[in-house]
Amino acid sequence: MIPRLGYRRRSIWLYHFNSGGCNGCDIEFVAALTPRYDPERLGVQLVPSPRHADVLVVTGPVTSVVKDALEEIYDQIPEPKLVIAFGTCACSGGIFSECYNTIGGADHVIPVDVKIPGCPARPSSLLRVLAEVYGVKVRGKA
Amino acid sequence: MGKLSKRVTTLEELTRELKAAIESGFNHLMAITCVDLGGELELIYSLSSLDGRPLHLSLKVPQGSAKVSSIAALMPAASFYEREVHDLFGVHFEGNEGMGSRFLLPQCYPEEAPPPLLKSVDSAQVRELLSTLRCASPLPIHLEAPLSPESVVVPFGPYHPALKEPEHISLVVEGERIRKAFIKIGYVHRGIEKAAEARSFLRDIYLFERVCGICSTHHAWTFVEAVESLLGLQPPPRAVFLRAIVAELERIHSHALWLGLVGYWMGFESMFMWVWGLRELVMDILEEATGNRVHKSFVTIGGVRRDIPDEKLRGYVEKLSQLRSSIASLMEDILSSEQFASRTKGVGRYTLEQARRFSAVGPVRRAAGDPYDIRKIEPYGAYDRVDFHVPVASEGDVYNLVKIRLEELLSSVDIIAQLVEKIPSGNPVPPRHFMGTVPEGEAYARTEAPRGELFYYVKADNKHNPYRVKIRTPTLANIQLAASLLEGALVSDLPLIVTSIDPCFSCMDRVTVLKDGEFFVLKLEDLVKLARGGRSECVH
Repeated sequence: MIPRLGYRRRSIWLYHFNSGGCNGCDIEFVAALTPRYDPERLGVQLVPSPRHADVLVVTGPVTSVVKDALEEIYDQIPEPKLVIAFGTCACSGGIFSECYNTIGGADHVIPVDVKIPGCPARPSSLLRVLAEVYGVKVRGKA
Repeated sequence: MGKLSKRVTTLEELTRELKAAIESGFNHLMAITCVDLGGELELIYSLSSLDGRPLHLSLKVPQGSAKVSSIAALMPAASFYEREVHDLFGVHFEGNEGMGSRFLLPQCYPEEAPPPLLKSVDSAQVRELLSTLRCASPLPIHLEAPLSPESVVVPFGPYHPALKEPEHISLVVEGERIRKAFIKIGYVHRGIEKAAEARSFLRDIYLFERVCGICSTHHAWTFVEAVESLLGLQPPPRAVFLRAIVAELERIHSHALWLGLVGYWMGFESMFMWVWGLRELVMDILEEATGNRVHKSFVTIGGVRRDIPDEKLRGYVEKLSQLRSSIASLMEDILSSEQFASRTKGVGRYTLEQARRFSAVGPVRRAAGDPYDIRKIEPYGAYDRVDFHVPVASEGDVYNLVKIRLEELLSSVDIIAQLVEKIPSGNPVPPRHFMGTVPEGEAYARTEAPRGELFYYVKADNKHNPYRVKIRTPTLANIQLAASLLEGALVSDLPLIVTSIDPCFSCMDRVTVLKDGEFFVLKLEDLVKLARGGRSECVH
């Protein structure tokens, strides 16, 4: 069950945080906002400031250097907020779990609501989660 | 490409040998590789001539107190490569200005702490040390005027709307003009080279793919190319063609992605949407052909992971010819548009001499005038079997970079068509995954990744896992040039200039400091002190 954003779910604004990813998920995340998928029809938009965002999308394993920045940016997002870990690395550290400069998935630093695994996660999987947050029917389910 | 033949040199002879090498035409520095031989370190200076001949100089120094004279004065490109070696192996390069600060590692990583890539140092040990340090938060920057009453320091990043990847820049500006820029990267450093030493060769392919999510096939291919030359393995001819086809598809998607981003930073958002819409066609082809959109895991030791039937390949060529006509019309629209020209012509201008000095690679080098393309000068894969033209321009600026990349997009489509026409039959898939050991030896490989020359060095010692792998990504070579271009540019051009070299910070995670501008007589240290409020240790 994905936590609801209240009335703000009708215009989900996203903030993207690259916590040390390989660019795979980052590009797939941006690809999810382009004409093929066109989530703007659902009011979904990428915003430049965390203070305007409803949803924080984290990609990549958290490196030791960005840990504090991630906390800070999480705190800047107003309540109610939702955190999506996009891609296997953001979920658990993935293939980089053993590397010396990473500390694992985003849930080591901030509370994560939704984990979307995949290397990289597909753009459509992000849309599916956003559709659920929005409350539209996905394959006949509410 | 192939096994390494090194010329041994000594500490005293190094500078002289290098000078002689540069005079005899080896004026492109590919990489400085450091290898821990247990007790002593080996430094390998890999040089290349413009027609593709390699030269490797080997130098052995004792571990610990190793001091080597810097070659940055001879080859400015060496400055970053030396700092990387300093960070990861603790070698001190005398004369390199960046020795006092961290490059890849967090700034707070103590000087006396063990360099992570030494064989005696364990990953877990470095990790534990890093977890006790608190140095990650963005440095406090005082908005005071450090140079003159007119200049202020503007902090930029690490998370900023104009940056797709984390990076921190402190800009000293006077009005709208950038007088100085201190770039601090290092937010995406993961420690892949160390992790690779603990994994088998097969598992390393998947790791190296994930160095970069844009040119992942090129990373896998370059690594496999080096391993195959150590094994003396010749991949089946069909596999060689298939690799090149997937690599060219990757170039198309990478250039399209970059083109969209340039449009975005220029304020031309419809171009971004337009190009990224076209790009999905290539992503579909890649997914259908290899099973994944991004990390394709297509290249494997001894061949490719799966075959692509001929009729499918012909179908792709047909689809790509549609893409070609869309790109060609886009090219016509963009390049003839007056707004586009006025926004890009002369922005981030550089000369061939500058590009050569920083050993720039890929489209950045070609825009300045050198036809430096590894596919031509040191052909690998099936590139010697196709006929293609390397686009060059006469002067580097954003306009020419866009033009060159657009031409390359078209040429990639033509290369794929030729490859599909000439592809031999046979089974490209090895009967089983490579699980064996690799005989002792060293090899290097380089390929023309979408961003330019990608260099891999692999050392094996009869084990299942490599002894050492060194990666030199194209962005590390190009960012030094981009950094020097920021000086004197307008603040509003910054995203465009940084994007123009097609940077990939996940490939390269480094620190840059720009040299003193002509406007100042201040020492760099003074400037930093002023800019950082006394915390001069934060940037060098």
